[in-house]
This record gives sequence, C-alpha cells and structure tokens, in this order.
Amino acid sequence: MSLLLNKISFKPTEEYHLNDISLKFDSGKMYTILGRTLSGKTTLLKTIAGLQTPDSGSINFDDTDFLSIPVWKRNVAMVYQQFINYPHLNVRDNIAFPLKQRKMDENLIESEVKEAMEKVGLIGFESRKIQELSGGQQQRVALARSLAKKAKILLLDEPLVNLDYKLREGLREEFKKLFNVSDESNSILIYASTDPLEAMQLNGNIIVIDEGKILQSGTAKDVFENPATAKVAEITNDPAMNINKCLIQDNSLIMNDSVQIQIPDQLKSIPNGKYLVGIRATDIYLDDQGFAFDVEISEISGSETFLHLRNNNLKCVATIEEVKTYNTNEVVKINFDKSKIYLFEESGELQHSPYQ
Amino acid sequence: MAKIILDNIAHTYEPNANNPIFALKEMSLSWADGGRYALLGPSGCGKTTMLNIMSGLVRPSHGKVFFEEREVTSMITEDRNIAQVFQFPVIYGTMTVYENLAFPLKCRQFPEDQIERKVREVAEILNLQDYLSNRAKGLTADQKQLISLGRGLVREDVAAILMDEPLTVIDPDLKFRLRRKLKEINDKYKTTLIYVTHDQNEAMTFADNIIVMDQGEVVQAGSPKDLFERPQTTFVGYFIGSPAMNLYKCSASSQNEISIGAKAFKVKTNINSNSDNLKLGIRSEYITVESEHSDNSLEADVIEVEDFGNYKLITASFDSLKIKAKVKRELDIPSEKVILKLPAEHCCIYENNKLI
Amino acid sequence: MPRLYTFLKYFFVVLWACFVIAPFLWAISTSFKDFNSVTGGATYIPWLQFEPTLDGWSVLFKPGSQGGINIIGPYFNSIFVTLTASLISIVLGTLAAYALSRYTFKAGIVKNNDITFFFISQRIMPPVVLSIPFFIFLSSLGLLDSLAGLILVYIVLLMPIAVWIMVDFFNRVPREIDETALIDGCNPFQAFFKVVLPNSVPGMLVAGLFCIIFGWIDFFFAFILTFTKVQLLPVKIVALNSSITPWWSLSAAALVSVAPLIIVAFIVERYLSKGNLSGALK
Repeated sequence: MSLLLNKISFKPTEEYHLNDISLKFDSGKMYTILGRTLSGKTTLLKTIAGLQTPDSGSINFDDTDFLSIPVWKRNVAMVYQQFINYPHLNVRDNIAFPLKQRKMDENLIESEVKEAMEKVGLIGFESRKIQELSGGQQQRVALARSLAKKAKILLLDEPLVNLDYKLREGLREEFKKLFNVSDESNSILIYASTDPLEAMQLNGNIIVIDEGKILQSGTAKDVFENPATAKVAEITNDPAMNINKCLIQDNSLIMNDSVQIQIPDQLKSIPNGKYLVGIRATDIYLDDQGFAFDVEISEISGSETFLHLRNNNLKCVATIEEVKTYNTNEVVKINFDKSKIYLFEESGELQHSPYQ
Repeated sequence: MAKIILDNIAHTYEPNANNPIFALKEMSLSWADGGRYALLGPSGCGKTTMLNIMSGLVRPSHGKVFFEEREVTSMITEDRNIAQVFQFPVIYGTMTVYENLAFPLKCRQFPEDQIERKVREVAEILNLQDYLSNRAKGLTADQKQLISLGRGLVREDVAAILMDEPLTVIDPDLKFRLRRKLKEINDKYKTTLIYVTHDQNEAMTFADNIIVMDQGEVVQAGSPKDLFERPQTTFVGYFIGSPAMNLYKCSASSQNEISIGAKAFKVKTNINSNSDNLKLGIRSEYITVESEHSDNSLEADVIEVEDFGNYKLITASFDSLKIKAKVKRELDIPSEKVILKLPAEHCCIYENNKLI
Repeated sequence: MPRLYTFLKYFFVVLWACFVIAPFLWAISTSFKDFNSVTGGATYIPWLQFEPTLDGWSVLFKPGSQGGINIIGPYFNSIFVTLTASLISIVLGTLAAYALSRYTFKAGIVKNNDITFFFISQRIMPPVVLSIPFFIFLSSLGLLDSLAGLILVYIVLLMPIAVWIMVDFFNRVPREIDETALIDGCNPFQAFFKVVLPNSVPGMLVAGLFCIIFGWIDFFFAFILTFTKVQLLPVKIVALNSSITPWWSLSAAALVSVAPLIIVAFIVERYLSKGNLSGALK
C-alpha cells in the first residue's frame, strides 16, 4: 500500500503554501518532513488528513481517490504541536474516543486503550482529567489516542516543539522506540520537524520542504551527506551550513581577500569560476595558524559553543566542542577541514560533496 | 545602577502556618552591577518568586533586600528603579514607537530635549530608528519586545532589568537576533540584566553567570563552563547538557578509587567517605572509544548508535547500566562490543547527590 | 504597612457590601409594615420599632375580587416567556456563533465580522425605535397580547447577546479540537455535538444568565405588546402604583420578582467556580 501525492498545489493567497508537490509514501516506513517555520509542513499534513483541500492535484491511497473521501472517513491520525485533547473527557475516554466513534466492541476498546496507554506510559492516569496533566502527559494522551486508532496514516506535526527542553529530550527517545514497534502495523508515519538533529535521530526518510516546494527527499544519511542544493544544506544542518560566495582560481579557493585556501586534491578537477562554498560549523576548528576572525557572538547549546564569526564581509558559524564563553569582538583563529568542503553552483545546485 | 544584595532571604506564601512550605529556602546572594545573569530551573523551582522579591512584587517573609547600601525590602516596585520585561511584549499599541520609548521619561517629567536625545540613542541601539514614527501595533513580535526593553533602557537610574522568559513568544529565527541585541545592550550600557528561563540553552547563551534553582534552593551559581564541567549536584548534571550526565551508584574502594560492581575506576577526587550514597557522574562528551583496554576503560555491549549528523551518540550497556557516549561522526563503532574509557579527570563523585 | 493594607481592604469590602445589601434590608422591612409604620419615619427593627404585618404580602396572592392583585399568573407568564425565549436564543445563538467562528462567509463586501456586528447592532437601537415596527408586526400576525408574540420579540432582543458571547467563546476554543474530532471519525455535526458543545457549557451558562436577566427585567415591550389577556410581572408591579402607593406590597412584589434572578445567579456562580468547567479551555 502506498500514498501517492500527485502535483498538489495550494495557493490561498498571493503565495504558494504548497507548490506542485509529488511524493510517494510507502506503508511501514517513516518519513520526516523537514523545513523551517511556515515552509508548508503543516499545510501538507492537513492536506493529507483532509482538513484542507488543494487547488489542484490528486492524492491516491491504496488505489482509491483520497480527495473524494471526507476527513472523518479517511483512516488517519494526527498529533498537533499544541496539546490537543478533549477537555471534557478523562484520559481513558480521550483515548477511547476514536474507537467508540467507530462503534468498536466495548471489550475490544478496553484492551486497545490499555495497550496504547502502556505504550506511552500513562497507566494509572486513566481517570485523570486532562487539565490535571502536565504538558508532556497531555501530549502522551494525544499520542496514545492516535496509536490506539491504528490508523493507516499517522501524522505528527512537531509534537515535541512546545515541551520543555529536558522533557523533549526524554520523549524523543521514547518516540523513536514507539515508532519502531508500530512499524509492524504497516502504517505510514509522517513526522514534521524544523530540527535537523531530530530528523537525523528519527533516521527515516527525509523530505526537505521550503516555501511549499519539495527540495529533496531521500534517506537521512543521503540528504545529510549529499544535499541537492545550498538551501537544503542550510535547512538540514543546525547550525545551518555556512554558505559563502567563493572564487576558484589557480588551485586556490578564495572567499575574500584574506581568507584563501589551497585547493585540496579532491577539488582539483573543478574548473575555475564562481561558486558557493559550503562548510559545516562542525568542520571549522580553532587553529593558531589559521585565519583571524572576530567573534560576533558566542552561543552555548547543550555541550557545544557556537561561535558566530566575521572576517570583513565573510560570516560563518563554528561549533567548538566545549562550553566556553567568548567575548564579543574577541579575535579567534580558525581553519576549515578541507576534506569536508562542499561546492555549489552559483544557482545553488550541488557541484561537489566530500561524500560522493 | 546598583549592586543588588539578597540578605538571608526566604519566602513562604503561608507565613502563619506551623510548618510553612517555603517557596524559597533561606539564601544570600549578591548581583554585581552590570552583570549578565540567568536564573535557570524547571517550573515551580522558585525562580519567579526570587524575581518578584527583587522587583518588589513580593515582600519576602524573611530577610532583607538591599540596592547598594539602601534597604528596599518593603519598598514597592515603582520606587525601586527596576525595569521589567515580561513574556508578552507590553506596548502601547496606539502610540508610535517614539512615544512608547519616551513614555517613562514623560511620566517623570524630563525636559523634551533630553527625552528626544535619549530616545534616539536607545532606538539606534535597538535598530528601531527607522520605525520611530510608526505605530507600535504594526511591528513584529521581536521588535515589540525590544520596545518593552527600550522603555527600561531610556531611564538612566534603572538598577536592573528583570526579564521573565522574554523570548517565549518570539519566533525561533528571531530569538537569535534578540539574544544578540541583549548582549550588545549589556556591553554598551552595563545595565544589570537578569534573565529568568527554564531553557538551559537560552541561559547558557545569554549569561555570564547562571544561578540554577531547584525546589526553592539555589543549587549552583557559576559560569556556563563550571556548570557543565563540574556540576555541584546530580540535578545540575542532569539539567545542564544534552544528553544528561551519566550517573552510576558506586562505592569507594580507596581514597582515589571507586568501584561500580566489580569494576574499579580511578578518580581525581579525594574520597574520605564510606557513605552508601555515592555516585559517579561523567559527561557523555568526555567518554572516549578506545581500541584496547587501559586504566578506567570498560567493555560494553552496543545497544544503539545514532547518527545526528554533527556527532554520533552511542548507547551501550555495561553490567545492566546504560552508558551514553558522544563521539565524532567519522568514528567507526563496532556493532557489538565497544571499549569505552572514562577519563579520571572528568569523573565527578557525588555524595548524597552533592559534589565532593 | 501590610496590616493597615489588610484593614483598608476589608473596610472597603464591608462598606461596599452594606451598599449592596441595604436596599434589600430596606425592602424587606418595608414589606412587613402597614401604612402608619411606613409614613411614620425610618424604622428598621420589627416588634421593637414597628409592629410587623403580613398585609403587604397577602395582597400579592389574593384574587382581585378580594381586593388583592394576584401576581401568580403574571409570575408564571414571566418565567415561561423568559425561559422559553432564553432557551431558544441560546440554542440558535450558539449554532450561529459556531458557524461565524469556524466558517468563512463572504457575500460581496459582507464578511463574518459584519454578520456578527449585524447581530449586535440589534441592541444598539433604543427600544422605542423598535416598538412601532414590533407592534405592527405582531398585530399583522395576530400575536398581540399573547405569550407566543412576546417570546418572538424577546428572541430578537436576546439572541444578539447569546451570539456575541458565544462567538467570543468559540474563537478562544482551538480549532484543532474540532479538527481532531473530524480526524477521529466524527462528521461535522457529530464533532459539534460530541466535542464542541460539551466544552461550551461555561460560555452557554454565562450567555444564558445574561439572556435570563435581560428577558426578566424587560418592562417596555411587555407593556406595549400586551393588554389584558397576558400580563408579565414587571407590568403588574408597576400597575400597583396608584394614587396611594402601597409601599409594603410594592416592596414585597419587588422581592418576589428579584428572587429567581438571585437563585439563578447563585447556581451559575457555583457551577462556574467549581473550576472544572471554567478552566476546561484556555
């Protein structure tokens, strides 16, 4: 079974929310839609669910025309980034709601609900009111409801983004296990996220979307290693990959007057000309013999320090693997890991990847 | 501007009870003039109570508050020269940006020319100079929040600007911009900034000094580096850093050696305790993968290797204990057994969850 | 300082309470007085300052043939008209409000907000302006001086209140709750009745309270649109005013008429303050 989106477009205003999207989702697989805020992720999920009708294009699921089926008859489940539950029902009834709606046998409902609650760790909370739960627990209820339904298509719209940092860390791990288990059910799992690390960790197929357009899709590893365009490279890295204009001339890669590096062997075959050079923040390291950059600001994330650097018009972000505060305008010397350099055409297409 | 001193402060919301519950347990703290502080902790840890005591919204049930030499314990907010920025931008929507910024000075009847000079100066710092004659209503969320902040900055007599989760409603892309502005402002005006948040990344990025609170107590105050490398309590070890610090129950086998089960590890700490509540803590960033055994190494079964793109996270089990190690992406990890080393200098020993 | 603050706080609360309760005490004591006690200056304490009598009260329940004014009929008329009109207003108003909150309507330049304003604008006009149209309207339908006619007019007056309150309420209920219901297999009607409605009880209670109050206290339309067959309580009470005003029965009637409102307000307040309803939706 598979879900086929064919040339889906949606343009409610001047701008496209979805622009000519064609995708194929196979059952039993997990897909991560990765894109920035307002890139069209939620619209895409809502279109698949049936909450939004596209202006043009078709959707086929299991060889039936999905667009002619109203939401309530499509067998889908969705978890929102806000914690959406039925406030007038207790935890148990919330999870049982879709099953009751389907007129399932009471005993069967009982066992299905119990199973779902076990999976998300809500046993003991059956008769609690939704308002008495913490944010994390509320999101577990929403998740349990969508799991209990055993829907053929499970849509998750940034389900962790509104949770506290530590909670997010814990739940993300649980999620991954849950989805591995639910693989047996042969459903299609679509997870929308803005966070490249989350997408990498979920380790499914990644679909990169920007301004309503699909930029690339493929396995997590492939999209990470071989981004199709400079834009994809920015979206799939946190911090975004450093993309800068450069000139290749006579075996040197010139970023500006002072930052010029000797072309490494793997780039020797590349003709002279103007390109975009891409270097990951993690592939920039401190080096006393390196280029001098001014620190614009340093940010500490988890156990790393992101240095936002500038050398005249050249800006880049470097990840330093320690927790250290740098002062603004402090001068640091850095270098680039030459074996990890990407080159993109001026139009943005990938020209060279270190993983090719 | 002034140094703020909290002298033996404690607070309970039920001062007449026999065994009152303290929202804030007794503590003394001082905040240096011009410092950049973050008050970090999970919800309900007492950080908002602390903030309210400084601002004068809450009168502490015990102890005194000083601004330099002046006792302000029973003074109301208006008399304290404190500016506050809340989660939601507080702006006067019908006024222009200029009028918004001038408002605190107008209320204090400053001469017009002085108001104008000061407002223009602050507007420039905040990058709002082009919007001065616009209505405040039409601005973006981060600009509105800058206005809230600007109203604190125009007053030269402000002792400190207190910010309670000021970036909650700001779009992730804009958060970075605003955080950077805050730092710049602190550099230029040397105004004490106190930033309350539950997000460790925000705190670590923003502040030079972080005060971590848990259950009404200050558990550690220090630089981001201190908090990361030498967490004073196991809570800080868990709360700061991602993933959380690895923690194992252990026993002391000699002064500089502990054992987990049958395995002994050397540590740099002098242990003079036979407590049965000893724990070894080590950050996953400091654990290394080795090819052969040496001191402090152990052999563990690999459970999972996650590829985050920027790094790999190994989850392994050792004597039914789970161990997480963060390593370079390029490293090849054997699929079954892995030798991990816990460097002695990075091992923290905790007695009753407090660092020795 | 804090002690003085506490003192002042309670002082003003008590002062305010006196202001609110005083008229009631005044009315209660007056209702047990006779002609001489009322005209003989201000007195408050029965038996000590004046001899209480039940005359003021008994008049209210005696038929006209025995010199009474019998408010029981008008009383039940008022209850029936108010409750029926309020109920219909709430039901229709809630449905209209839900549609206005969730669906986009467009007819030329007329959009959702304009429709909502149209509802509210019905309350902007002074009632006098509406009196003649309503009179002609009811008379052509043959509904003058009838309960049905009054109910019809009251629905026109009360429904805007219900729509107004409920639109605001629904706008604050996340749309995603309805969407989740749709995804969970409800058609739009089931989604409304099974999910949206049970969560709208607090809003409906508040809207209901306002409808009942505004319906109950209306004098103007009850006065103009009824004559002899049907009488509502406010009209009957005002009719007590004759050459010698019977302050005692007027006070008793006023107390009787205000009693249902107080009871309704208490019930609703108790219901809302239980928190489980008011806090259900943020």
